[in-house]
Order: sequence, then C-alpha cells, then structure tokens
Amino acid sequence: MTTALDDILALDLTNQFSSSLSAAFLADFGARVIRIEHTGSKAAADPSREAVWNYRDDLVHRNKQSLALDLDSEAGRKLLRELAAKVDVVVTDWQRTDLEQLALDYTALAGDNPGLVYARISGFGPQGPDADLPAIDELAAARSGVMPTLPQPDQPPVYTGAGAMHATALLAYGVIIALIHRQATGAGQEVDTSLFAANMYGASLDLQAFLAIGDDDPQHERMLKPISRLDVSNPMSGSIYPSADGRWVTLTMPDTDRWWPLLAPAVGIDEHDERFNTHDKRCEINRLALIEELEQGFQQQPGAHWRQVFAEKHMSADVIERFDYPVQDPQVAANRYILDLDHPSFGPIKTLGFPIFMSDTPARMNSLAPCAGQHTAGVLHDLLGYSEDDIYQFFTQGVIA
Amino acid sequence: MAKALEGIRVIDFTVWFQGPVSAQYLADFGAEVIKVENPKGGDQGRGVRSIKSLPVGDWNQYFLVINRNKKSIAIDLKKPEGQEILYRMVEKSDVFLSNLSPQLLEKMNLSYDKLVEHNPQLIYVTNTGYGRVGGVSRPSFDMTVQALTGAMARLGEPGQPPIYMGMGSGDAYGGIMSAFGVATAIYHRNKTGRGQCVDASLYGAQLFLAAPHLQQYLAGHTDAALQHSRKEVPNPLWNLYPGSDKWVYLCEENRDERFDLLCRALGADELACDARFQSSAARQENNVALIAALEALTSQRTAAALSAAFEGAGIVASPVNDYADVVRDEQAWRNNYFMKAYCEEVKREVDVRGLPVTLSKTPGEINALGPQLGQDTELLMMDLLGYEWEQIEQFKAVGAIP
Repeated sequence: MTTALDDILALDLTNQFSSSLSAAFLADFGARVIRIEHTGSKAAADPSREAVWNYRDDLVHRNKQSLALDLDSEAGRKLLRELAAKVDVVVTDWQRTDLEQLALDYTALAGDNPGLVYARISGFGPQGPDADLPAIDELAAARSGVMPTLPQPDQPPVYTGAGAMHATALLAYGVIIALIHRQATGAGQEVDTSLFAANMYGASLDLQAFLAIGDDDPQHERMLKPISRLDVSNPMSGSIYPSADGRWVTLTMPDTDRWWPLLAPAVGIDEHDERFNTHDKRCEINRLALIEELEQGFQQQPGAHWRQVFAEKHMSADVIERFDYPVQDPQVAANRYILDLDHPSFGPIKTLGFPIFMSDTPARMNSLAPCAGQHTAGVLHDLLGYSEDDIYQFFTQGVIA
Repeated sequence: MAKALEGIRVIDFTVWFQGPVSAQYLADFGAEVIKVENPKGGDQGRGVRSIKSLPVGDWNQYFLVINRNKKSIAIDLKKPEGQEILYRMVEKSDVFLSNLSPQLLEKMNLSYDKLVEHNPQLIYVTNTGYGRVGGVSRPSFDMTVQALTGAMARLGEPGQPPIYMGMGSGDAYGGIMSAFGVATAIYHRNKTGRGQCVDASLYGAQLFLAAPHLQQYLAGHTDAALQHSRKEVPNPLWNLYPGSDKWVYLCEENRDERFDLLCRALGADELACDARFQSSAARQENNVALIAALEALTSQRTAAALSAAFEGAGIVASPVNDYADVVRDEQAWRNNYFMKAYCEEVKREVDVRGLPVTLSKTPGEINALGPQLGQDTELLMMDLLGYEWEQIEQFKAVGAIP
C-alpha cells in the first residue's frame, strides 16, 4: 500500500503527549519519523517499563524509530546535528533556550538545510512577552477564557485537556501545508502552534461572539459565566436532561418547529399544549416551563429507551455515554477509530486508531512504539553513513545506546 | 506574501461549522475556496444571529468569520443544469469538500464515482458524522456526537452533570482534522497525480479530544471514564484553587523544593513544617488535607495578589481568565490569534478570531470576511468556467443560477 508521506524524513524531539502525537500522525501516513531518546532519560533507564503495557507510548510513538543518544556528550550532540541536517521535518516541544544551546534551533539548522520544515508546539506563540512561558496545557487553558463557562453555576472551572489535542492536529496541518509550499518552491520554514492558540480555537465560536458583542454591552455577562442547564437558551438544543437510570440525554434540535410534533408525544407532553405551540413560546415566553416539563418527562424512562426513541424518529439527540460505549461500538471499529491489535508482550489490546480516512493512502499501523535505541545502529548507518566499526566505537564510548 | 496553498482550488459545499471551518483553514493559507450555495438562502449558518439567547453584535459574525477568504457561487443543484455547472467546476478544481451526508450527495449526483468522471485527480472530501463505513448515517451535531465519545461523562465534579466542552468544540476539531487530511492528500497528489477520497468524521475526531484518557481506559484503567474531584487529585501542587475573586491554576511538580517555594509564596510556614506534608509521598497520601489547607489560604486573596506572589517566587501558575480578559490579552494579539478585518456589512473594521498556526514564510491572511450569497456567480461562470453570456442567461432562465 502506498503512503502519502513516504518521502518524508522527520526528527522527533518531543516530550509531550500532544506534540509526540503530531509526529505520530506524520508517521501514520508514511513519514519515517526518528525519535531521539536521551540515554540519560528516565524512559530509557526505567526497568519497570516492560512490566505493564505502555499504552501511552504505543499511541504517541507508534510507527516511529528510536535513536538513543547521550546528549550530554559533544559527540552525541554532533550526531544529532548531522541527522538534523538531513531531515525534511523537525517536530519539537523543547524550550527555545534548550534548542539554542544544542544548536538545534531553526536558524542554526536552516543554514545547511534550507528546505527544513521546523515545527514546534509552544505554550503561547512565537511572539510577545510570554513567548517563552512553559508549554503547559493547563496554563494555556486557564488563559483562554473557556474554563469558567463550562461547569454548572457555582462549580469549579473545568479543565478538559481538549486544547492540547487541538494543538496536535493544528501542528500536523501546519507541517503538511509547509511541505506543500516546499514542493512548489523548495523553501522550508518555521511552523508554530501554541497551546494557547489551540485552546482559544476550541472555544472559537464563543470567543468570536464575545468579540462581536463588545466589551461595553452589559449582556455579555451571560457569555462569561456558566449557564445553568435549567436556563438553557433553547430547551431542545444544547440541553441535557437526566433519565430514569441516571444516564443523561442531550438534544440538538435548533429547529423546534420541525421536531416538536415528534418530541412532545415521546416525552408525554401534548403537542398542542397552548404553552408550547410556537417556537417563540418554546424558546422565549415559556422556555423555563418547557425545560421543567422535559426534565420531568425524560426522568420517566431509562437511557436505553430514549436511545431507541431518538433512533426511530431520526432525532438529533443521544445518550451521554462513558468510554465503554465507543470501545464496543461496531461503528468505531469499522472506521478504525479504535484498533484491535495483538501486542507481542501483552496479547490482545485495543488502542486508539486513526481519525482520518484516506482511500488511496490510508493510515498504517506498522509498529508499536520502539524500544529506546531500537534503531540506533540502522539510522547511523543508513542515514549518516557510519560503518559498523564507527558505531561500535560510539557504543563503547557511551555516545549511543 | 507567498501562500502555502497558492494554486489550489477548493469547491466548498458545506454548511454550519465543521465543513466551513475546514475550508476556512485552506482559504486562510491561500487556497481559492469557492463556496457553493443553494440560491434560496444559502448556508443555514447565514441565519445564526444570536448565541446563548443573546443577539450578537451588529454584524453576522458566525457566518462571516468561518467563511472568510472565500468566494460564493449560487447554484440550484437539484436541477440537472445546476449539476452541469458543478461538474464543470469539478473539472477545474483540486478538492471537493462537503459535510452533507454521503447519501444526500449520492442523491444529488455528487458521489465520488460521479465527480471523478469529470476529474480523475480529484480529492473528494466528506465530513461525516459517524464515519465513512459501518452503516450509521443519521443527523449529527457537535454535542450529540461528543456525548457518545465518553469525553463529556468524565468531566465535572462527581455527581455533577456531564460537561460539554463548549459550542463548536467538536466541530472545530473535526474541521482541523479534515484540513489535515485534505493537505496530506494534496501533498500526495502533487507527487503522484493521484486523487482519492478523504473523510474526517465528527465521531473520529472527537474520540481524540480525550485521547490520553480514552487510551488509558483502553489499557484497563476503568476509572479514567469517571468524574474526579479536584479535592482529591494525587498531586495537590497541580490543581485548581479558588482566589477570593477568580480561580488560579497551579502547575507545579510534587517535589520538596517546589512545595517549600509555594509555602513561602503563600506565607504559610506552618504548612512547610507540617509533618503530613514533609515529602512528596506524604503530600500525595494526605492530598485531601493539603488541598483543603491550600484552598483555605488562596481563598483569602485575590487572583492578582496570588499571581504576583507566585511570580515573585518562581511558581508556575495562571489565573483562570474569562473571555473579557482574553480579548485584551496582548499575547493573543501579538501572535495574530486575534486580528482586525474590514466588514462590508457595517463598513468598519471588526475584531475576529485569527490564525492559530503561524508559518514564518507563508503566514495566513484575512483578506475578506465571508461572501454575500452568490456574489461571485457571474464572474466565476465567465472567467473560471468559460460560459458565454447567452449560456449564462439560459442557466438563469431555468433557475439553475439566480
């Protein structure tokens, strides 16, 4: 099977889940991604590593190769720079000062490698006073404004972790369009996405609305604070209700005129009830009364009943599930969103698959995460042309592992 | 300024948010994106004038920002003549992108098999709700799909209702996944001349919104599916704490020297000497007591005072800001995460959501906000599609174009 990125050689200098996963996405579509592991690092030395399934690494480092180097030695750093001069893409989340110290920053590398696409997840973007704040998703989420709006009133703000996942996809997108530009011109460049930008992007509809409402409109308070689920703007859209067995249902039927005749009888309300027989009555005049009726109605039956009703009537509504649901959902398996694999050490496992379908160049699952240094000799030989003797020397000197 | 996607033409047959925002990413970086709309009203997103029961500003911000940098052609695709126009567009385009259901596209004679007859190199992209195969095809919206992923049920304090990650949170994610898929397909086609089908579904993307936790669950950690209280996190130094006005997010490792610094910043010598909190293991063991003790201290002070104290001590933390803070955040403006754009509708510059990806040599741009319905129809019919004026008149006469 052909892959889309089989001509791409990438260097993975990442520590964090989000940026490691960006590099894995490139590897899924065929790039040869070489991950650098510092021989002094915990991951390389930890003997407990094989005792339980390392589910994290088998997701974020799948399809990658591993090169273990002692970055505390000048010889190790030199090997890394030699490799960096040959790659098409660097993906990193290291702090700029660390990269500069090792002469692995863009300026240092691009001189010899002008086609290099140098991609980084930062905390807060390449410009501005906070450009070098640490890349911690919680810090970025806290700055983005969304956290206080998510819970029910009087509950603590909510950190979702979704911002870091936005950053994963944003960076991968940035890398590919930079590669497309390079196809046309030969020129590489720097690509940055920040956890701050990614968190803002997850909240983009609210943020844009807030920008348009303007700071001086007293109404904007409603945008800043949590809105109680019992005060939702449209009782039939964006709303959640508990069912008889404690599972929650959620409705997204903004066009209430269309759906009311189907929903009302299903929840035991007379379709022609004078209080609710127009959209304005449902969403403005008697909005709170309708929320109360729906709250009562949905509690009469368990979640499974509601799923069946929603399916029969083709309603845009569903039951709020836990992770057990997608794990056993045949739709998820059919689309390879979760994969069944046979792990060489741990037997049958399930692991997150691929969010994107491509008919001609599908994502591949070639290998699970490499052991630290699994490909050291091969990479030094194939890519840098070192002989077996050279490699043996590096090994005995402790430069590689 | 050079553009990364210069020369790429995209047919954007999308509505609402996920599909349009996916095409917006392509347009921001230089693709020529032509939005195909039904002449009777166009994209339903044009009608969104309020949010959370609030009338939003005096301009159509929902539609105009998602559809910035695009052209609009109005075609009635229910008519064979309208389909003929679209087929000619397909001949001259690189990408066809739609978030309508594959069944509906098939019914409109816009399936992959049909379109590829007109352009064998076409990249044909769908944004389905639940995936390209498997047989599930029903109405899908951001929140109803997010509900299935398990991502909502694990959020919030125990006993509280599940948490929706915010309006459009999943659509935005499906949109960028889709753009990533499209770009990858373009890269491949540039090398090989081969087009293909791409799908980025709401379900597939949203399963990745909680990827670290879902993957943990897949490894048998069933409690990853459940709500967890901030009063019981294993590392009390990495947690949310209330100030007297706003919350703060403290992000420190559970190490002795960091704990000492934190105690000093809070002026809490008694905590630093407390036997229950003397080692990282002790702090983890007595996490509930330590969180309560820290909370008692933080809630006496404003978030600004806490931030100043933390900054002085070199403690990593941030106030939990609200949108009013963010729109004034210099860091956001300096990095073009917010930008200014001219809005025809109100004849002035407005503030818009900017570019979350920064490319140093081919940065994105905002040249224009969203188009009026069908504003480029005649021009595109003549210049791009090469129709004569008489033919255009005939298309108008049968109602294929307005």
